[in-house]
Amino acid sequence: MANRSGAAQRPNGQTQGKICQFKLVLLGESAVGKSSLVLRFVKGQFHEYQESTIGAAFLTQTICLDDTTVKFEIWDTAGQERYHSLAPMYYRGAQAAIVVYDITNQDTFGRAKTWVKELQRQASPNIVIALAGNKQDLANKRMVEYEEAQTYADENGLLFMETSAKTAMNVNDIFLAIAKKLPKNEQNAGQTGNNAQGRRLTEGDTGPKTAGNCCK
Amino acid sequence: MLASHQDVFNIVQAKFLAAEVVKSIHLNVSVVDGPSINSDRILALVEYNKSCALFVLISSRSQPISFSDLSIETVIPIDPNFSCETEPGAGQHYVILIIKYKQSRFQYNIEIGKDSCNFAAELIKSKEGSSNTNPNNNTWLEKYFGTMNNSNRNSDPVDQGELVVIRDGMVQGQTAINRESMLKYQLKLKEPEFTQKQEFSIFVGTWNVNGQPPTVSLRSWLSWDENPPDVYAVGLQEIDLSKEAFFFNDTPREAEWQKFVMDGLHPNAKYRLVALARLVGIQLAVMVNNQHYRYVKNVSFDTRGTGLLGMGNKGGVAVRLELHNTSLCFVNCHLAAHVEEFERRNQDYKDIDTRINFRKSPHEIKDHDQIYWLGDLNYRITDLNTSQVKTLLQRSEMNTLLKVDQLNQQKERGRVLVNYIEGDITFPPTYKFDLNSDTYDTSEKARPPAWTDRILWRGRGIHQVSYRSHMDIKMSDHKPVSSLFMSEISVVDPSKYRKVHEDLLKKMDKHENEFLPQVTVDQAEVTFELVKFREPQFKEIIIANTGVVPAEFEFIKKLDESSYCKDWLTIMPFCGSINPGEKCDVKLEVNLETDLETLYDILVLHLKGGKDMFITVNGHCQKSCITQTLSSLVRIQVPIMHLSKEELASALNNQGPIYYSVPRELWLLVDHLYRHGLRTRDLFESCALHEELIRIRDWLDFGSKDQIPGTPQAVAETFLLFLSYTKEPIIPFDLQDSCVAAANNFENCRQLILQKLNDIHRTAFLYICMFLQELLKYSNDNGYDAKTVASLFGDILLRDPIRNSKPQASRGKTNFVYNFLMNDLSSSLIPK
Repeated sequence: MANRSGAAQRPNGQTQGKICQFKLVLLGESAVGKSSLVLRFVKGQFHEYQESTIGAAFLTQTICLDDTTVKFEIWDTAGQERYHSLAPMYYRGAQAAIVVYDITNQDTFGRAKTWVKELQRQASPNIVIALAGNKQDLANKRMVEYEEAQTYADENGLLFMETSAKTAMNVNDIFLAIAKKLPKNEQNAGQTGNNAQGRRLTEGDTGPKTAGNCCK
Repeated sequence: MLASHQDVFNIVQAKFLAAEVVKSIHLNVSVVDGPSINSDRILALVEYNKSCALFVLISSRSQPISFSDLSIETVIPIDPNFSCETEPGAGQHYVILIIKYKQSRFQYNIEIGKDSCNFAAELIKSKEGSSNTNPNNNTWLEKYFGTMNNSNRNSDPVDQGELVVIRDGMVQGQTAINRESMLKYQLKLKEPEFTQKQEFSIFVGTWNVNGQPPTVSLRSWLSWDENPPDVYAVGLQEIDLSKEAFFFNDTPREAEWQKFVMDGLHPNAKYRLVALARLVGIQLAVMVNNQHYRYVKNVSFDTRGTGLLGMGNKGGVAVRLELHNTSLCFVNCHLAAHVEEFERRNQDYKDIDTRINFRKSPHEIKDHDQIYWLGDLNYRITDLNTSQVKTLLQRSEMNTLLKVDQLNQQKERGRVLVNYIEGDITFPPTYKFDLNSDTYDTSEKARPPAWTDRILWRGRGIHQVSYRSHMDIKMSDHKPVSSLFMSEISVVDPSKYRKVHEDLLKKMDKHENEFLPQVTVDQAEVTFELVKFREPQFKEIIIANTGVVPAEFEFIKKLDESSYCKDWLTIMPFCGSINPGEKCDVKLEVNLETDLETLYDILVLHLKGGKDMFITVNGHCQKSCITQTLSSLVRIQVPIMHLSKEELASALNNQGPIYYSVPRELWLLVDHLYRHGLRTRDLFESCALHEELIRIRDWLDFGSKDQIPGTPQAVAETFLLFLSYTKEPIIPFDLQDSCVAAANNFENCRQLILQKLNDIHRTAFLYICMFLQELLKYSNDNGYDAKTVASLFGDILLRDPIRNSKPQASRGKTNFVYNFLMNDLSSSLIPK
């Protein structure tokens, strides 16, 4: 009866340890370097002859920002045209996408634009899209001008960087830029477990997800 | 559309056996401090054979539609080990339900309302009913524990004394949780790498104010030291001795004293209150220098009454907090009075020490890096009367007195404050003085002076700088006591912390990625040779687990598809588990029953908790006359395989001249049966050899100078196959309902046939019926009667849009065909 207990007034403590989990998908023509970018980002490795991805590879990687920790669940999709129709399985529910093209191949840039259009039409409206002009180490064989891609990215509200999985240039940076741009407010907190790795977005789960699966 | 409470109730009940009765449910429950703030939990109280259990269910949808949307997260038996209580939750609409079972503790946020009242009532009723049941009655729960992951399935959790939280197929959910606790644990281990010790001055003061209201400045007590302390912990006892304070635990003195305390703090620094906790007259305030305030976190407090009914005239209050990376706990107590009651005091101490609970980890006093214990401990001096004590004090023989100090004696015997340290006492006893004087008790009772007011500590890195009493504050019968400590606080170096934190996360990522399931498939593309109608082919793919964990694989549906593969394909097995280093053969069977040019499908092989792999299946198909439309077939003069591509295309598009009134193949089959089968017993019932059917199919498709191969029964079966697999049934789908409706009247049926059926289908239909009439003339030989034949052909001529493995005879369809078997059809041949 005469007991009083509970939490006392709480000063503003440090907000360390807040982990936000996001699903990120890589899209783009085959052989532009999607898997290489992921391999560089996650394992710091580069293989000159990276096997073609037949399916959707899955890896996780965490990035620390100033006040939050962002954990990416990365789906690296197959680029071959025959698998195009399966891509929605992976970009649905994704909070971020990296659309990759090869700066030495104009066609892949055209294909990248088609992907961006498809994402804008079909993916979550809040999806953060980054455009990566990969193989920057081959700039002497460049077929896509930096300014052209930058202009396109600006017009479409995309993050844009030229990257090189081979030299690691801008690889961490592009993921970091995405992590910074993703909303991390708690209202958008979703159930990490449910959308998390390997969980399938099936028919009951078709609508675009609110971005930002944050959790504390 | 929102499902009602009753709907969900029914769905929850469906999750259990009929004898396991769901008594009550509570929706929209969330886990307190859980990884998710979603209110996706459902609490269900389930009873079986007088034994109850509380189930925590997770719904995969915001509103479950079927019981398969629900997975069981936790099962808590309601037996004598079960207890529950509530405390106020976030906001006035929520209450926190705290459930304890043996060592386990669960907290759920529930919304206050009618449902919560009903649920709580049922829960309490169950709990009361459980006191006389045997905990072994829980055996019915074992099967639910059995749905757990392998990692948890060590042995019966009920027997282990620990409840196991079930994560039904949620490997990733589990890693998410493990990940956070793992990170915390690893960070703690690596703390020395990113912290450095810094000395903080901590002022701890205690004073029994004897129920007096504050009147004098406390500066000479609280600001005794030259430099402003970093932290203050100020404990008061007996701030209010009124009955109101005792019975209602409410007193205006709290604010009054707190104001004097704040005013008394060191003038050379600004302080901010971290926590103020009070139990009746026992009050504890913790303040920190403003500049440290932002490094204080996880503050909480608890109080514990001892003595008379535990109501709080005696007892303790405790405040805990983390300053930088060091956890501090301050306990202010007022233990039982009277010289002879030292054992009662020991007991009070134990009660406070063990029963203070901060509601979140760490829960207990003992779990802190540094503990400061202060208060009116009330231990006296034994075996000496007042005058003896006073004499010794006058002779400054303090040590003699301290030897018979009860606290020192009890502590030495390990009865109280074990492992706590107290500094040397160099000040005279602080009790009992005449008010407003420095004179020890001159009243009739003349209590012997005693060191009732004490400060002790426990933990690493605590250095006592001074321990003293403050004689010049005279308004109480006690003098205030204080101690200044220089304590080592571990302070995080942000850049070092960041590096350690990041390294740990990287390590965990690496670990996590290494432990993802990995398999290889021996072929990414499976090509079938020429695929023919109803001639199954098999291919095998080998899935090999090349990873380090068991791989659970499953072929999964693509978006907007109803199955994980096309209907011409069967995958065996379509899901399974492969141990590291082992393989699994998966059989792909293709069986063509429709008219397709090519086969093409991409299978998605999903590894639970990991990647997906695509397997392309393709093959070319051979045309067959079976599976075509009648209107195409009547345009084909020769076996279908004799046609050139162009000829075939034009026939399939219903272009070009019509050569026959009924398809050539239909005529060939009927003609053969007419000549060789009418007297065959059970013509349509024997099962022909598969090869025989293939030979007949090829004979039709490729043509031959030879007679049609096979027995009459085989030809009859091919005839049925032909009719069953035409692209459109003889009586088209859209006409079937009208036919069934007209089935009772032949004239109506006849009119339907004449008016609605196109020429080609009508001719074929009547042709078949006339053949069947002919067949029935030989009933004595073949054993058929009109009803049987009508039933058999009703289901074929008016076949269902969806092919059932076992079509069920429909009376209407039978009757419809029956009409045409029993009546003269000559008039039906000519349209009006």
